[in-house]
Amino acid sequence: MLTTVRDVQIPLLAALLLGACASKGWRAVQTRSIVAAMDATGLFPLRLGRPMMVAMCVTELGLGLGLIATAGRAGAGGAGLLATVVRVGAALFFLLAVAVLNETRQRRPQAGCGCFGDLSETPIGWRTIARAGVLCAAAAVTIRLPPLRMPSSASTAALWLAIAAFELALIAFLSPELGEVLVRLGYSEPCELRRLPVGQTLTALHSSSQWRRYAGQVSTSAPADVWREGCWRFVVYPGSARGRPVDIVFAVYLQARRRPPVRVAVLDADTDEVLGRAELARLGLSTRL
Amino acid sequence: MGWILDVSPHILVLHTRQGEQRLPLAACAQAWRGSKLPPAALRRGDHVIVRRQFPGGPAVDRIWAQAGRVTGTIVEREGPTALLIDEGPAKGRKIVVIAAEATGRIQVRFPRLEPGYLIDVIGLKHDGFLQALIPATSQPPYRAGHPPTPPLVSGHVPDPVSGTAVWHEPGEEPDDLLGLAYPALDPETSCERAGAAAKGAAGDLHAVDPHATGPGCVRLPYLSVGSTLRLQNECAKRSRLLPVTSCGAMARLFCDRFVTCGTSRKGRIADLTMAAFVELGGMLEDGCFNATMTIGG
Repeated sequence: MLTTVRDVQIPLLAALLLGACASKGWRAVQTRSIVAAMDATGLFPLRLGRPMMVAMCVTELGLGLGLIATAGRAGAGGAGLLATVVRVGAALFFLLAVAVLNETRQRRPQAGCGCFGDLSETPIGWRTIARAGVLCAAAAVTIRLPPLRMPSSASTAALWLAIAAFELALIAFLSPELGEVLVRLGYSEPCELRRLPVGQTLTALHSSSQWRRYAGQVSTSAPADVWREGCWRFVVYPGSARGRPVDIVFAVYLQARRRPPVRVAVLDADTDEVLGRAELARLGLSTRL
Repeated sequence: MGWILDVSPHILVLHTRQGEQRLPLAACAQAWRGSKLPPAALRRGDHVIVRRQFPGGPAVDRIWAQAGRVTGTIVEREGPTALLIDEGPAKGRKIVVIAAEATGRIQVRFPRLEPGYLIDVIGLKHDGFLQALIPATSQPPYRAGHPPTPPLVSGHVPDPVSGTAVWHEPGEEPDDLLGLAYPALDPETSCERAGAAAKGAAGDLHAVDPHATGPGCVRLPYLSVGSTLRLQNECAKRSRLLPVTSCGAMARLFCDRFVTCGTSRKGRIADLTMAAFVELGGMLEDGCFNATMTIGG
Protein backbone atom coordinates (compact mmCIF):
# COMPACT_ATOMS: atom_id res chain seq x y z
CA MET A 1 0.00 0.00 0.00
CA LEU A 2 2.69 2.46 1.07
CA THR A 3 4.82 1.53 -1.94
CA THR A 4 1.83 2.15 -4.22
CA VAL A 5 1.30 5.58 -2.64
CA ARG A 6 4.95 6.38 -3.26
CA ASP A 7 4.72 5.06 -6.85
CA VAL A 8 1.83 7.39 -7.67
CA GLN A 9 3.70 10.55 -6.68
CA ILE A 10 6.21 10.66 -9.52
CA PRO A 11 3.77 10.85 -12.45
CA LEU A 12 1.56 13.25 -10.50
CA LEU A 13 4.42 15.56 -9.61
CA ALA A 14 5.76 15.44 -13.16
CA ALA A 15 2.34 16.25 -14.62
CA LEU A 16 1.87 19.20 -12.25
CA LEU A 17 5.33 20.61 -12.88
CA LEU A 18 4.99 20.31 -16.65
CA GLY A 19 1.44 21.70 -16.48
CA ALA A 20 2.64 24.74 -14.54
CA CYS A 21 5.39 25.34 -17.08
CA ALA A 22 3.01 24.80 -20.00
CA SER A 23 0.43 27.24 -18.64
CA LYS A 24 3.09 29.94 -18.47
CA GLY A 25 4.22 29.02 -21.99
CA TRP A 26 0.63 29.11 -23.22
CA ARG A 27 0.27 32.65 -21.93
CA ALA A 28 3.44 33.60 -23.77
CA VAL A 29 1.97 32.15 -26.97
CA GLN A 30 -1.36 33.88 -26.42
CA THR A 31 0.16 37.28 -25.81
CA ARG A 32 2.94 36.63 -28.32
CA SER A 33 5.35 37.89 -25.73
CA ILE A 34 7.48 35.97 -23.31
CA VAL A 35 7.75 39.19 -21.34
CA ALA A 36 4.00 39.18 -20.66
CA ALA A 37 4.00 35.59 -19.51
CA MET A 38 6.97 36.10 -17.27
CA ASP A 39 5.97 39.44 -15.80
CA ALA A 40 6.39 39.78 -12.11
CA THR A 41 3.62 38.22 -10.08
CA GLY A 42 4.42 39.93 -6.84
CA LEU A 43 6.64 37.20 -5.47
CA PHE A 44 9.85 39.05 -6.06
CA PRO A 45 11.14 42.62 -6.20
CA LEU A 46 10.31 44.27 -9.52
CA ARG A 47 13.81 44.08 -10.98
CA LEU A 48 14.14 40.40 -10.08
CA GLY A 49 10.61 39.44 -11.00
CA ARG A 50 11.06 38.51 -14.64
CA PRO A 51 14.38 36.60 -14.36
CA MET A 52 13.05 34.72 -11.36
CA MET A 53 9.88 33.74 -13.20
CA VAL A 54 11.93 32.53 -16.19
CA ALA A 55 14.17 30.56 -13.83
CA MET A 56 11.12 29.06 -12.14
CA CYS A 57 9.62 28.01 -15.46
CA VAL A 58 12.89 26.39 -16.54
CA THR A 59 13.20 24.65 -13.17
CA GLU A 60 9.66 23.27 -13.45
CA LEU A 61 10.37 21.97 -16.92
CA GLY A 62 13.70 20.43 -15.85
CA LEU A 63 12.26 18.77 -12.73
CA GLY A 64 9.19 17.51 -14.59
CA LEU A 65 11.23 15.94 -17.36
CA GLY A 66 13.82 14.74 -14.87
CA LEU A 67 11.21 12.93 -12.76
CA ILE A 68 9.90 11.12 -15.83
CA ALA A 69 13.33 10.31 -17.23
CA THR A 70 14.63 8.90 -13.93
CA ALA A 71 11.45 7.12 -12.85
CA GLY A 72 12.79 3.74 -13.87
CA ARG A 73 16.05 4.06 -11.96
CA ALA A 74 16.83 3.02 -8.43
CA GLY A 75 17.37 5.71 -5.86
CA ALA A 76 20.80 4.45 -4.82
CA GLY A 77 24.23 5.30 -6.24
CA GLY A 78 25.39 5.23 -9.86
CA ALA A 79 22.64 5.87 -12.38
CA GLY A 80 20.16 6.07 -9.51
CA LEU A 81 21.99 9.03 -8.02
CA LEU A 82 20.50 11.25 -10.71
CA ALA A 83 16.99 10.11 -9.73
CA THR A 84 17.71 10.96 -6.10
CA VAL A 85 19.06 14.38 -7.05
CA VAL A 86 15.97 15.17 -9.13
CA ARG A 87 13.57 14.03 -6.39
CA VAL A 88 15.43 15.91 -3.66
CA GLY A 89 15.44 18.92 -6.01
CA ALA A 90 11.66 18.64 -6.44
CA ALA A 91 11.15 18.41 -2.65
CA LEU A 92 13.36 21.47 -2.09
CA PHE A 93 11.56 23.34 -4.87
CA PHE A 94 8.19 22.86 -3.20
CA LEU A 95 9.62 23.54 0.26
CA LEU A 96 10.98 26.83 -1.05
CA ALA A 97 7.60 27.53 -2.64
CA VAL A 98 5.90 27.13 0.77
CA ALA A 99 8.23 29.69 2.28
CA VAL A 100 7.95 32.17 -0.58
CA LEU A 101 4.16 31.88 -0.79
CA ASN A 102 3.80 32.41 2.93
CA GLU A 103 6.08 35.44 2.81
CA THR A 104 4.26 36.89 -0.18
CA ARG A 105 0.89 36.35 1.45
CA GLN A 106 1.98 38.47 4.38
CA ARG A 107 3.76 41.18 2.40
CA ARG A 108 1.48 41.41 -0.63
CA PRO A 109 -1.91 40.01 0.28
CA GLN A 110 -3.42 41.02 -3.08
CA ALA A 111 -0.83 39.19 -5.20
CA GLY A 112 -1.58 35.90 -6.93
CA CYS A 113 1.06 33.19 -6.99
CA GLY A 114 1.31 32.94 -10.79
CA CYS A 115 1.91 29.20 -10.37
CA PHE A 116 -0.26 28.36 -13.38
CA GLY A 117 0.16 31.59 -15.34
CA ASP A 118 -2.86 33.86 -15.52
CA LEU A 119 -5.06 31.17 -13.95
CA SER A 120 -3.37 31.92 -10.65
CA GLU A 121 -4.34 35.55 -10.12
CA THR A 122 -6.42 34.80 -7.02
CA PRO A 123 -4.69 36.21 -3.93
CA ILE A 124 -2.58 33.62 -2.17
CA GLY A 125 -4.51 31.83 0.57
CA TRP A 126 -3.96 28.94 2.88
CA ARG A 127 -5.03 26.51 0.14
CA THR A 128 -2.21 27.59 -2.18
CA ILE A 129 0.34 27.25 0.61
CA ALA A 130 -1.08 23.90 1.72
CA ARG A 131 -0.90 22.64 -1.86
CA ALA A 132 2.79 23.45 -2.03
CA GLY A 133 3.22 21.65 1.31
CA VAL A 134 1.40 18.55 0.07
CA LEU A 135 3.52 18.51 -3.08
CA CYS A 136 6.67 18.91 -0.99
CA ALA A 137 5.66 15.88 1.08
CA ALA A 138 4.80 13.99 -2.10
CA ALA A 139 8.24 14.71 -3.51
CA ALA A 140 9.92 13.76 -0.24
CA VAL A 141 8.35 10.28 -0.15
CA THR A 142 9.74 9.51 -3.61
CA ILE A 143 13.35 9.80 -2.44
CA ARG A 144 15.04 6.38 -2.56
CA LEU A 145 11.94 4.91 -4.20
CA PRO A 146 12.64 1.70 -6.19
CA PRO A 147 12.25 1.93 -9.98
CA LEU A 148 8.65 2.32 -11.16
CA ARG A 149 7.07 -0.68 -12.85
CA MET A 150 3.70 -1.37 -14.40
CA PRO A 151 1.13 -2.78 -11.89
CA SER A 152 1.52 -6.54 -11.51
CA SER A 153 -2.23 -7.25 -11.19
CA ALA A 154 -5.63 -5.71 -11.83
CA SER A 155 -6.18 -5.10 -8.12
CA THR A 156 -2.85 -3.25 -7.85
CA ALA A 157 -3.79 -1.14 -10.87
CA ALA A 158 -7.16 -0.31 -9.28
CA LEU A 159 -5.46 0.66 -6.03
CA TRP A 160 -2.99 2.74 -8.00
CA LEU A 161 -5.83 4.57 -9.78
CA ALA A 162 -7.80 5.08 -6.56
CA ILE A 163 -4.82 6.66 -4.83
CA ALA A 164 -4.12 8.86 -7.85
CA ALA A 165 -7.77 9.96 -7.99
CA PHE A 166 -7.81 10.75 -4.26
CA GLU A 167 -4.64 12.78 -4.50
CA LEU A 168 -5.83 14.61 -7.59
CA ALA A 169 -9.06 15.46 -5.78
CA LEU A 170 -7.04 16.75 -2.82
CA ILE A 171 -4.88 18.90 -5.09
CA ALA A 172 -7.97 20.16 -6.93
CA PHE A 173 -9.53 21.11 -3.60
CA LEU A 174 -6.39 23.03 -2.69
CA SER A 175 -6.18 24.76 -6.09
CA PRO A 176 -7.94 28.13 -6.45
CA GLU A 177 -7.21 27.83 -10.19
CA LEU A 178 -9.85 25.12 -10.54
CA GLY A 179 -12.71 27.60 -10.19
CA GLU A 180 -11.14 29.84 -12.84
CA VAL A 181 -10.73 26.88 -15.21
CA LEU A 182 -14.37 25.86 -14.77
CA VAL A 183 -15.54 29.45 -15.33
CA ARG A 184 -13.48 29.67 -18.53
CA LEU A 185 -14.70 26.33 -19.83
CA GLY A 186 -18.33 27.35 -19.44
CA TYR A 187 -17.88 31.02 -20.25
CA SER A 188 -19.88 32.78 -22.87
CA GLU A 189 -19.06 36.44 -23.47
CA PRO A 190 -21.99 38.78 -22.79
CA CYS A 191 -23.39 40.32 -25.96
CA GLU A 192 -22.18 43.79 -24.87
CA LEU A 193 -18.59 42.59 -25.03
CA ARG A 194 -18.81 40.32 -28.03
CA ARG A 195 -16.91 41.34 -31.15
CA LEU A 196 -19.10 40.71 -34.16
CA PRO A 197 -18.21 41.92 -37.65
CA VAL A 198 -20.46 44.47 -39.32
CA GLY A 199 -20.78 42.11 -42.29
CA GLN A 200 -22.40 39.50 -40.07
CA THR A 201 -24.85 42.09 -38.77
CA LEU A 202 -25.77 43.16 -42.30
CA THR A 203 -26.24 39.56 -43.39
CA ALA A 204 -28.56 38.95 -40.45
CA LEU A 205 -30.43 42.16 -41.22
CA HIS A 206 -30.86 41.39 -44.92
CA SER A 207 -32.36 38.01 -44.13
CA SER A 208 -34.87 39.42 -41.64
CA SER A 209 -38.57 40.02 -42.20
CA GLN A 210 -38.13 43.65 -41.11
CA TRP A 211 -35.70 44.23 -43.94
CA ARG A 212 -38.05 42.67 -46.48
CA ARG A 213 -40.84 44.93 -45.26
CA TYR A 214 -38.82 48.13 -45.68
CA ALA A 215 -36.45 47.20 -48.51
CA GLY A 216 -38.69 48.90 -51.05
CA GLN A 217 -38.24 52.25 -49.31
CA VAL A 218 -34.44 52.00 -49.06
CA SER A 219 -32.72 54.10 -51.72
CA THR A 220 -29.07 53.01 -51.38
CA SER A 221 -27.40 49.65 -51.17
CA ALA A 222 -24.88 50.69 -48.52
CA PRO A 223 -25.85 51.99 -45.09
CA ALA A 224 -25.34 55.67 -44.39
CA ASP A 225 -24.25 55.04 -40.81
CA VAL A 226 -23.51 52.10 -38.55
CA TRP A 227 -22.98 52.28 -34.83
CA ARG A 228 -23.25 50.13 -31.76
CA GLU A 229 -24.65 50.45 -28.29
CA GLY A 230 -24.00 47.45 -26.10
CA CYS A 231 -25.96 44.51 -27.44
CA TRP A 232 -27.47 46.39 -30.38
CA ARG A 233 -25.94 47.50 -33.64
CA PHE A 234 -27.78 50.26 -35.49
CA VAL A 235 -27.79 50.53 -39.25
CA VAL A 236 -29.21 53.57 -41.02
CA TYR A 237 -30.32 53.55 -44.65
CA PRO A 238 -31.56 56.65 -46.47
CA GLY A 239 -34.88 56.13 -48.19
CA SER A 240 -38.15 57.75 -49.12
CA ALA A 241 -41.69 57.22 -47.84
CA ARG A 242 -44.71 58.90 -49.36
CA GLY A 243 -42.48 61.23 -51.29
CA ARG A 244 -40.49 62.57 -48.32
CA PRO A 245 -36.87 61.68 -47.55
CA VAL A 246 -36.55 59.42 -44.52
CA ASP A 247 -33.92 57.61 -42.52
CA ILE A 248 -34.75 53.98 -41.90
CA VAL A 249 -33.00 52.84 -38.75
CA PHE A 250 -32.62 49.14 -38.09
CA ALA A 251 -31.44 47.82 -34.74
CA VAL A 252 -29.96 44.33 -34.87
CA TYR A 253 -29.36 42.37 -31.67
CA LEU A 254 -25.79 41.14 -31.53
CA GLN A 255 -25.86 37.43 -30.99
CA ALA A 256 -24.43 34.46 -32.77
CA ARG A 257 -27.86 33.03 -33.61
CA ARG A 258 -28.86 33.08 -37.26
CA ARG A 259 -32.07 35.05 -36.72
CA PRO A 260 -31.39 37.78 -34.16
CA PRO A 261 -34.19 40.16 -33.18
CA VAL A 262 -34.41 43.20 -35.48
CA ARG A 263 -36.24 46.45 -34.67
CA VAL A 264 -36.91 49.30 -37.04
CA ALA A 265 -37.89 52.96 -36.95
CA VAL A 266 -38.55 55.38 -39.79
CA LEU A 267 -37.53 58.98 -39.16
CA ASP A 268 -38.04 62.11 -41.17
CA ALA A 269 -34.61 62.89 -42.61
CA ASP A 270 -34.99 66.63 -41.97
CA THR A 271 -36.75 66.79 -38.60
CA ASP A 272 -35.88 63.39 -37.05
CA GLU A 273 -39.58 62.98 -36.29
CA VAL A 274 -40.48 59.31 -35.87
CA LEU A 275 -42.88 58.38 -38.66
CA GLY A 276 -43.48 54.73 -38.13
CA ARG A 277 -42.87 51.75 -35.83
CA ALA A 278 -41.04 53.51 -33.03
CA GLU A 279 -39.72 50.23 -31.66
CA LEU A 280 -36.28 51.64 -31.02
CA ALA A 281 -37.57 53.98 -28.34
CA ARG A 282 -38.39 50.94 -26.22
CA LEU A 283 -34.79 49.77 -26.24
CA GLY A 284 -33.90 52.46 -23.70
CA LEU A 285 -30.71 53.38 -25.48
CA SER A 286 -29.01 56.67 -26.10
CA THR A 287 -30.53 59.71 -27.75
CA ARG A 288 -28.08 59.59 -30.60
CA LEU A 289 -30.91 59.24 -33.09
CA MET B 1 -12.18 78.38 -21.74
CA GLY B 2 -10.16 81.16 -23.26
CA TRP B 3 -7.09 83.34 -23.08
CA ILE B 4 -6.64 86.01 -20.42
CA LEU B 5 -6.88 89.56 -21.73
CA ASP B 6 -6.92 91.14 -18.31
CA VAL B 7 -7.34 90.08 -14.72
CA SER B 8 -7.96 91.93 -11.50
CA PRO B 9 -8.98 90.71 -8.04
CA HIS B 10 -12.62 91.04 -9.08
CA ILE B 11 -12.90 90.61 -12.84
CA LEU B 12 -11.43 88.19 -15.34
CA VAL B 13 -11.50 89.24 -18.99
CA LEU B 14 -11.14 86.40 -21.45
CA HIS B 15 -10.80 86.08 -25.18
CA THR B 16 -12.98 83.11 -26.09
CA ARG B 17 -14.36 81.60 -29.27
CA GLN B 18 -17.49 83.65 -28.67
CA GLY B 19 -15.48 86.88 -28.33
CA GLU B 20 -14.49 88.87 -25.27
CA GLN B 21 -16.07 87.77 -21.99
CA ARG B 22 -15.96 89.58 -18.66
CA LEU B 23 -16.39 87.21 -15.73
CA PRO B 24 -16.88 88.36 -12.14
CA LEU B 25 -14.71 86.56 -9.62
CA ALA B 26 -16.23 85.22 -6.40
CA ALA B 27 -14.66 86.40 -3.16
CA CYS B 28 -13.39 82.89 -2.55
CA ALA B 29 -12.01 82.49 -6.10
CA GLN B 30 -8.77 80.57 -6.38
CA ALA B 31 -6.45 80.05 -9.31
CA TRP B 32 -4.02 77.30 -10.21
CA ARG B 33 -0.94 77.82 -12.31
CA GLY B 34 1.31 74.99 -11.30
CA SER B 35 0.32 75.77 -7.72
CA LYS B 36 -2.49 77.60 -6.01
CA LEU B 37 -2.29 81.37 -6.25
CA PRO B 38 -4.61 84.39 -6.18
CA PRO B 39 -6.40 85.05 -9.48
CA ALA B 40 -4.73 88.45 -9.85
CA ALA B 41 -1.38 86.67 -10.09
CA LEU B 42 -2.33 85.04 -13.40
CA ARG B 43 -0.65 86.32 -16.55
CA ARG B 44 -2.08 87.88 -19.66
CA GLY B 45 -2.12 85.45 -22.53
CA ASP B 46 -2.51 82.41 -20.29
CA HIS B 47 -4.91 79.78 -21.56
CA VAL B 48 -7.44 79.20 -18.80
CA ILE B 49 -10.46 77.12 -17.97
CA VAL B 50 -12.88 78.41 -15.37
CA ARG B 51 -15.49 76.91 -13.11
CA ARG B 52 -18.65 78.79 -12.17
CA GLN B 53 -19.44 79.06 -8.48
CA PHE B 54 -23.00 77.88 -9.16
CA PRO B 55 -23.99 76.03 -12.33
CA GLY B 56 -25.30 78.60 -14.81
CA GLY B 57 -24.32 81.51 -12.56
CA PRO B 58 -22.01 84.36 -13.60
CA ALA B 59 -19.39 84.23 -10.83
CA VAL B 60 -16.22 82.22 -11.22
CA ASP B 61 -14.69 80.49 -8.20
CA ARG B 62 -11.94 78.45 -9.76
CA ILE B 63 -9.46 79.14 -12.57
CA TRP B 64 -6.87 76.82 -14.03
CA ALA B 65 -4.19 78.43 -16.17
CA GLN B 66 -2.00 76.59 -18.69
CA ALA B 67 -3.09 73.24 -17.24
CA GLY B 68 -1.96 70.29 -19.31
CA ARG B 69 -1.70 66.56 -18.99
CA VAL B 70 0.22 63.84 -20.76
CA THR B 71 -0.87 60.23 -20.46
CA GLY B 72 0.88 57.52 -22.41
CA THR B 73 3.86 55.31 -22.94
CA ILE B 74 7.41 56.53 -22.51
CA VAL B 75 9.16 55.97 -25.83
CA GLU B 76 12.36 57.90 -25.27
CA ARG B 77 14.27 59.43 -22.41
CA GLU B 78 16.71 62.29 -22.87
CA GLY B 79 18.68 63.02 -19.74
CA PRO B 80 17.14 62.74 -16.31
CA THR B 81 14.07 64.89 -16.92
CA ALA B 82 13.06 64.98 -20.60
CA LEU B 83 10.73 62.30 -21.90
CA LEU B 84 9.03 61.61 -25.21
CA ILE B 85 5.59 60.18 -24.60
CA ASP B 86 3.38 58.33 -27.07
CA GLU B 87 -0.30 59.02 -26.37
CA GLY B 88 -1.58 56.45 -28.85
CA PRO B 89 -2.30 56.50 -32.58
CA ALA B 90 -4.98 59.19 -32.33
CA LYS B 91 -3.08 61.74 -30.26
CA GLY B 92 0.53 61.29 -31.28
CA ARG B 93 3.52 62.21 -29.18
CA LYS B 94 4.34 64.87 -26.64
CA ILE B 95 7.44 66.03 -24.86
CA VAL B 96 7.44 66.11 -21.08
CA VAL B 97 10.04 67.94 -19.06
CA ILE B 98 9.92 67.16 -15.36
CA ALA B 99 10.27 70.34 -13.35
CA ALA B 100 13.26 70.33 -11.02
CA GLU B 101 11.10 70.97 -7.95
CA ALA B 102 8.81 68.06 -8.87
CA THR B 103 11.45 65.45 -9.70
CA GLY B 104 11.36 63.69 -6.35
CA ARG B 105 7.60 63.75 -6.13
CA ILE B 106 7.17 62.30 -9.60
CA GLN B 107 9.88 59.68 -9.25
CA VAL B 108 8.30 58.38 -6.06
CA ARG B 109 5.09 57.65 -7.98
CA PHE B 110 6.82 56.78 -11.28
CA PRO B 111 9.95 54.84 -10.33
CA ARG B 112 10.51 53.57 -13.87
CA LEU B 113 10.93 56.51 -16.18
CA GLU B 114 12.10 54.16 -18.90
CA PRO B 115 10.90 53.42 -22.42
CA GLY B 116 8.03 50.96 -22.43
CA TYR B 117 6.47 52.06 -19.13
CA LEU B 118 3.41 54.20 -18.57
CA ILE B 119 3.31 57.75 -17.30
CA ASP B 120 0.51 60.14 -16.43
CA VAL B 121 1.49 63.62 -15.29
CA ILE B 122 -0.16 67.01 -14.90
CA GLY B 123 1.62 70.29 -15.27
CA LEU B 124 1.97 73.52 -17.15
CA LYS B 125 1.69 73.70 -20.91
CA HIS B 126 4.53 75.46 -22.64
CA ASP B 127 5.33 75.94 -26.29
CA GLY B 128 5.96 72.40 -27.51
CA PHE B 129 6.22 70.60 -24.17
CA LEU B 130 4.57 69.98 -20.84
CA GLN B 131 6.36 70.94 -17.67
CA ALA B 132 5.38 68.06 -15.40
CA LEU B 133 4.59 69.05 -11.82
CA ILE B 134 2.12 66.54 -10.40
CA PRO B 135 1.93 62.76 -10.79
CA ALA B 136 -1.67 62.03 -11.78
CA THR B 137 -1.53 58.45 -10.55
CA SER B 138 0.98 55.82 -9.50
CA GLN B 139 2.91 54.01 -12.19
CA PRO B 140 1.50 50.58 -13.04
CA PRO B 141 4.14 47.89 -12.36
CA TYR B 142 3.58 46.25 -15.76
CA ARG B 143 4.88 47.42 -19.12
CA ALA B 144 2.45 49.45 -21.19
CA GLY B 145 1.60 46.63 -23.54
CA HIS B 146 0.69 44.14 -20.83
CA PRO B 147 -2.14 45.34 -18.64
CA PRO B 148 -3.75 42.66 -16.48
CA THR B 149 -6.69 40.74 -17.83
CA PRO B 150 -9.99 41.80 -16.29
CA PRO B 151 -12.17 39.22 -14.56
CA LEU B 152 -14.72 37.49 -16.73
CA VAL B 153 -18.26 38.79 -16.65
CA SER B 154 -21.09 36.39 -16.16
CA GLY B 155 -24.52 37.44 -17.38
CA HIS B 156 -24.54 41.05 -18.49
CA VAL B 157 -22.12 43.89 -17.86
CA PRO B 158 -23.33 45.76 -14.76
CA ASP B 159 -25.11 49.02 -15.47
CA PRO B 160 -24.30 51.47 -13.99
CA VAL B 161 -20.59 50.79 -13.86
CA SER B 162 -18.22 52.41 -11.38
CA GLY B 163 -14.58 53.36 -11.68
CA THR B 164 -12.36 56.35 -12.23
CA ALA B 165 -12.93 59.28 -14.57
CA VAL B 166 -9.91 61.22 -15.78
CA TRP B 167 -9.43 64.15 -18.16
CA HIS B 168 -7.46 64.87 -21.29
CA GLU B 169 -6.33 67.94 -23.18
CA PRO B 170 -8.59 69.00 -26.05
CA GLY B 171 -6.15 68.27 -28.87
CA GLU B 172 -8.08 68.75 -32.09
CA GLU B 173 -11.42 68.97 -30.30
CA PRO B 174 -13.02 72.35 -29.55
CA ASP B 175 -11.82 73.73 -26.20
CA ASP B 176 -15.28 73.92 -24.69
CA LEU B 177 -16.50 70.53 -25.86
CA LEU B 178 -18.49 68.68 -23.22
CA GLY B 179 -17.90 65.04 -23.92
CA LEU B 180 -15.74 62.07 -23.14
CA ALA B 181 -13.34 59.67 -24.73
CA TYR B 182 -14.72 56.19 -24.16
CA PRO B 183 -12.31 53.30 -23.60
CA ALA B 184 -14.43 50.63 -25.36
CA LEU B 185 -15.58 51.91 -28.71
CA ASP B 186 -16.92 49.31 -31.12
CA PRO B 187 -13.78 47.85 -32.71
CA GLU B 188 -15.63 47.22 -35.96
CA THR B 189 -16.64 50.79 -36.68
CA SER B 190 -14.60 53.15 -34.55
CA CYS B 191 -11.08 54.17 -33.64
CA GLU B 192 -9.65 50.69 -33.49
CA ARG B 193 -9.50 50.72 -37.27
CA ALA B 194 -7.69 54.05 -37.28
CA GLY B 195 -5.36 52.65 -34.67
CA ALA B 196 -4.57 49.62 -36.80
CA ALA B 197 -3.91 51.85 -39.80
CA ALA B 198 -1.55 54.04 -37.84
CA LYS B 199 0.29 51.09 -36.34
CA GLY B 200 2.57 50.61 -39.27
CA ALA B 201 3.39 54.29 -39.46
CA ALA B 202 4.53 54.51 -35.86
CA GLY B 203 7.15 51.79 -36.16
CA ASP B 204 8.64 52.38 -32.73
CA LEU B 205 9.90 49.63 -30.48
CA HIS B 206 8.29 51.05 -27.35
CA ALA B 207 5.15 52.63 -28.77
CA VAL B 208 2.08 50.70 -27.69
CA ASP B 209 -1.18 50.63 -29.58
CA PRO B 210 -3.71 50.48 -26.75
CA HIS B 211 -6.23 48.86 -29.08
CA ALA B 212 -4.03 45.79 -29.31
CA THR B 213 -3.66 45.18 -25.60
CA GLY B 214 -7.05 43.67 -24.79
CA PRO B 215 -10.04 45.11 -23.00
CA GLY B 216 -8.11 46.67 -20.12
CA CYS B 217 -9.05 46.55 -16.46
CA VAL B 218 -12.76 47.17 -16.72
CA ARG B 219 -15.19 45.29 -18.89
CA LEU B 220 -17.22 48.03 -20.56
CA PRO B 221 -19.95 47.51 -23.16
CA TYR B 222 -19.01 48.49 -26.68
CA LEU B 223 -20.39 51.88 -27.73
CA SER B 224 -19.81 54.30 -30.59
CA VAL B 225 -18.94 57.95 -31.03
CA GLY B 226 -22.22 59.82 -30.48
CA SER B 227 -23.59 57.46 -27.83
CA THR B 228 -24.69 59.24 -24.69
CA LEU B 229 -23.84 58.38 -21.09
CA ARG B 230 -24.79 59.78 -17.74
CA LEU B 231 -21.70 60.31 -15.66
CA GLN B 232 -21.86 61.09 -11.96
CA ASN B 233 -18.99 62.53 -9.99
CA GLU B 234 -19.32 60.63 -6.73
CA CYS B 235 -17.05 63.09 -4.93
CA ALA B 236 -18.94 66.26 -5.91
CA LYS B 237 -22.32 64.52 -6.39
CA ARG B 238 -22.76 66.16 -9.77
CA SER B 239 -23.99 64.30 -12.80
CA ARG B 240 -24.50 65.11 -16.44
CA LEU B 241 -25.48 63.49 -19.69
CA LEU B 242 -22.44 63.47 -21.98
CA PRO B 243 -21.84 62.25 -25.52
CA VAL B 244 -18.96 60.00 -26.47
CA THR B 245 -16.80 62.28 -28.59
CA SER B 246 -13.61 60.34 -29.13
CA CYS B 247 -11.64 57.19 -28.55
CA GLY B 248 -10.18 56.71 -25.08
CA ALA B 249 -8.33 53.46 -25.58
CA MET B 250 -5.29 54.73 -23.65
CA ALA B 251 -7.42 54.62 -20.49
CA ARG B 252 -7.56 50.83 -20.82
CA LEU B 253 -3.89 50.58 -19.93
CA PHE B 254 -4.35 52.00 -16.44
CA CYS B 255 -5.78 49.90 -13.61
CA ASP B 256 -5.60 52.60 -11.00
CA ARG B 257 -7.98 53.81 -8.32
CA PHE B 258 -8.86 57.31 -7.18
CA VAL B 259 -8.47 57.58 -3.42
CA THR B 260 -9.13 61.21 -2.52
CA CYS B 261 -12.81 60.75 -1.61
CA GLY B 262 -13.02 57.08 -0.77
CA THR B 263 -11.49 54.35 -2.87
CA SER B 264 -12.91 53.98 -6.34
CA ARG B 265 -13.23 50.71 -8.16
CA LYS B 266 -10.21 49.72 -10.20
CA GLY B 267 -9.84 51.03 -13.75
CA ARG B 268 -10.69 54.06 -15.84
CA ILE B 269 -14.19 54.18 -17.27
CA ALA B 270 -14.14 57.61 -18.92
CA ASP B 271 -11.59 60.11 -20.17
CA LEU B 272 -13.39 63.45 -20.07
CA THR B 273 -12.66 66.61 -21.96
CA MET B 274 -11.30 69.33 -19.65
CA ALA B 275 -14.54 71.28 -19.91
CA ALA B 276 -16.65 68.27 -18.98
CA PHE B 277 -14.34 67.32 -16.10
CA VAL B 278 -14.58 70.81 -14.62
CA GLU B 279 -18.33 70.98 -15.29
CA LEU B 280 -18.78 67.81 -13.23
CA GLY B 281 -16.95 69.36 -10.31
CA GLY B 282 -13.57 67.77 -10.88
CA MET B 283 -10.32 69.48 -9.89
CA LEU B 284 -7.87 69.32 -12.78
CA GLU B 285 -4.86 69.10 -10.48
CA ASP B 286 -6.34 65.99 -8.80
CA GLY B 287 -6.43 64.26 -12.17
CA CYS B 288 -9.48 62.08 -11.57
CA PHE B 289 -12.61 61.46 -9.55
CA ASN B 290 -14.76 58.51 -8.52
CA ALA B 291 -17.41 58.10 -11.17
CA THR B 292 -20.52 56.10 -11.89
CA MET B 293 -21.56 55.73 -15.49
CA THR B 294 -24.98 54.80 -16.82
CA ILE B 295 -25.29 53.90 -20.47
CA GLY B 296 -27.87 56.00 -22.26
CA GLY B 297 -28.54 58.11 -19.17
